[in-house]
Amino acid sequence: MNLLDQIKSDFSAYAAQAEKDSFFETRNNAFLELEKCGLPTLKNEEWKYTSIRKISEGNFTQSCVSELDAKSLLEAGILNTIACNKLVFVNGCLFPELSVFLEEDADIVISSIANARKGNAAIITQHFGKYAAVEGQGMVAMNTALMSDGAFVYVPKGKKMKYPLMLTNITDATQHGIFQQPRNLIVIEESAHGSIIENYIAIGEHASFTNVVNEIFVDNNASLEHYKVQRAKGETYHNNFTQVFQNGNTNINQVTLSLDGQWIRNNLHFYMNGQNCNSLLYGLYITDGSQFVDNHSRVDHAMPNGYSDEKYKGILRDNSTAVFNGKIMVHVDAQKTNAYQRNMNILLSNDATVNTKPQLEIFADDVKCTHGATIGQLDEEPMFYLRSRGISELEARKLLLNAYAADIAEKIKIPELVQILEEEIERKL
Amino acid sequence: MLSINNLKASIEGKAILNGINLDIKPGEVHAIMGPNGAGKSTLSSVLAGRSDYEVNDGSALFMGKDLLALSPEDRAREGLFLAFQYPVEIPGVSSTNFLKTAINEKRKYLGLDPMEATDFLKFMKLKMEEMEMDKSLTSRSLNEGFSGGEKKRNEVFQMAMLEPKLCIMDETDSGLDIDALRLVSAGVNKLRTPERSFLVITHYQRLLDYIVPDFVHVLYKGRIVKSGDASLAKELEVKGYDWIKQEVESAK
Ligand SMILES: Nc1ncnc2c1ncn2[C@@H]1O[C@H](COP(=O)(O)OP(=O)(O)OP(=O)(O)O)[C@@H](O)[C@H]1O
Ligand SMILES: [Mg+2]
Repeated sequence: MNLLDQIKSDFSAYAAQAEKDSFFETRNNAFLELEKCGLPTLKNEEWKYTSIRKISEGNFTQSCVSELDAKSLLEAGILNTIACNKLVFVNGCLFPELSVFLEEDADIVISSIANARKGNAAIITQHFGKYAAVEGQGMVAMNTALMSDGAFVYVPKGKKMKYPLMLTNITDATQHGIFQQPRNLIVIEESAHGSIIENYIAIGEHASFTNVVNEIFVDNNASLEHYKVQRAKGETYHNNFTQVFQNGNTNINQVTLSLDGQWIRNNLHFYMNGQNCNSLLYGLYITDGSQFVDNHSRVDHAMPNGYSDEKYKGILRDNSTAVFNGKIMVHVDAQKTNAYQRNMNILLSNDATVNTKPQLEIFADDVKCTHGATIGQLDEEPMFYLRSRGISELEARKLLLNAYAADIAEKIKIPELVQILEEEIERKL
Repeated sequence: MLSINNLKASIEGKAILNGINLDIKPGEVHAIMGPNGAGKSTLSSVLAGRSDYEVNDGSALFMGKDLLALSPEDRAREGLFLAFQYPVEIPGVSSTNFLKTAINEKRKYLGLDPMEATDFLKFMKLKMEEMEMDKSLTSRSLNEGFSGGEKKRNEVFQMAMLEPKLCIMDETDSGLDIDALRLVSAGVNKLRTPERSFLVITHYQRLLDYIVPDFVHVLYKGRIVKSGDASLAKELEVKGYDWIKQEVESAK
């Protein structure tokens, strides 16, 4: 069955027994929107280079069943050495044995959404479905209508997470193709601080489709560190939509690392709803084989004195493909906005492709914005310099690529994550 | 040590070196002078293995090996070092990591174990003292934001670290202030041994007051048109190149 038909039949099954679900109205609206706008096609400007043909063909199964035990999951590579809170979801379902809560402050909530709906219903109702708009967004609508479980993180006013949350999603496609729709809700209240690592891994030979929606609310004077590490090897299709909604005087540092996976589409949206918002968006993609990685971002400067800095860098090998599309919207009230955006690419082969499109739309007059994109090879001069000192071509390339990645790596405040990057560069050469 | 025979090289079809002959024995210091565009940097680039240049004829034997058949890295590992006229900045590559990699790649080639991190740091500290290198330079990215003079001094420091057999120095003195020139020359003189040879490319007699050459050659239009001892450099300082150019033209 193709994906859309499957969704329709799943939704009518859900709707038949949903009258007690407090999300029903939101989900039903999302479903109606999906019926209206459908799934994106190449005709859609935002999906011009990004075919979801394989995904819409469907033939995936939604199933929590996994024969994996905790031990083998840990060995599957869940960034084990970092001292952190942990939530692990397998095929979209919580794996409670692997949850770890290190925070001393019991007011901080780190849980699955399903569990949190019992004790934290009010906060969830206040925020759920409020930021990731479904209008014209078939993928978001599909998630909202039929989401799996996901993480709920709640850092109340003035509280600070001492440890990051490692939010690991494991695709177990050893038995059959997998379809899952993780849905995470992150609420950082006034003057609070949160730190989250989204970590995606996969095992098994079958194809899988993971359709994630993150809603992140950051209230006045709060801050957030957010990392996304995509290492789901194999025939994995991964769509991720993250909407960050930030109030005034907030600081957000977001780093997206796209390393493994057949097909990755990241949609990262920031909405600055207050003055003096500070948002950093950094990303690195390292691709080989026939990998496809698409980073779409949008920063809405809706209020004055906002600062955003976006830098995405790519290293592409073989016949892999990357797409970058970054939109900066400076709304009419957003005077004194500073917005910077760069996309840089190094192609290590003649068969790799990059489509890059930085976009500025400015409706205020007193702003400073720059954008730019580059595509090129590794420079020959530094290469020769290093080789002339006795360093082999391979080692020289490694040094230069690590140097190229360094300004992204230095935005990562967790050393173990930086280490992964270095290993990845080494492995992909 | 190095024996160059009738070396001809071109770039993009344009002949630059038109038959160079040069013999350098262990411990000797040779200076090459010559007007702008004569081919001095080309000669050093060809010897170091820059691939932009095409070697059309001739040979170069280094320690008995066919130099031109080796990759740039193997030339370096065999003991050839080129101090560049324009050292390139490499942001993001730390000087320390770069030097450690270079030394250990060479050791691997020679069948030696890699140098332990602590031994390496000790060695580096020693060489920095010897070359009077400032710590603030080696703690930065390679050449990044270095002044012209600092870059040149860093080339000589790398030379000290890598302990080559043959040091080719392409205008290492250009752009140095008087104190830096003294430091660089003193550094080079510390590196002089009965085995180590130098090929010093320069426009100025000044440097040769400090590093006294055994031989001075004049390169003109891709050929060595005159050779002599240290006094030749002094003569050039006074008379310029015109008389040599005339000699060459009238001999045609
Ligand atoms: N990439 C290139 N393409 C074309 N011509 C080149 C190239 N590189 C060098 N040349 C030419 O080769 C000739 C020799 O250059 P080279 O740099 O070797 O001179 P040089 O003797 O080192 O001069 P200087 O004293 O100014 O450093 C010059 O005429 C130069 O323009
Ligand atoms: Mg030159």
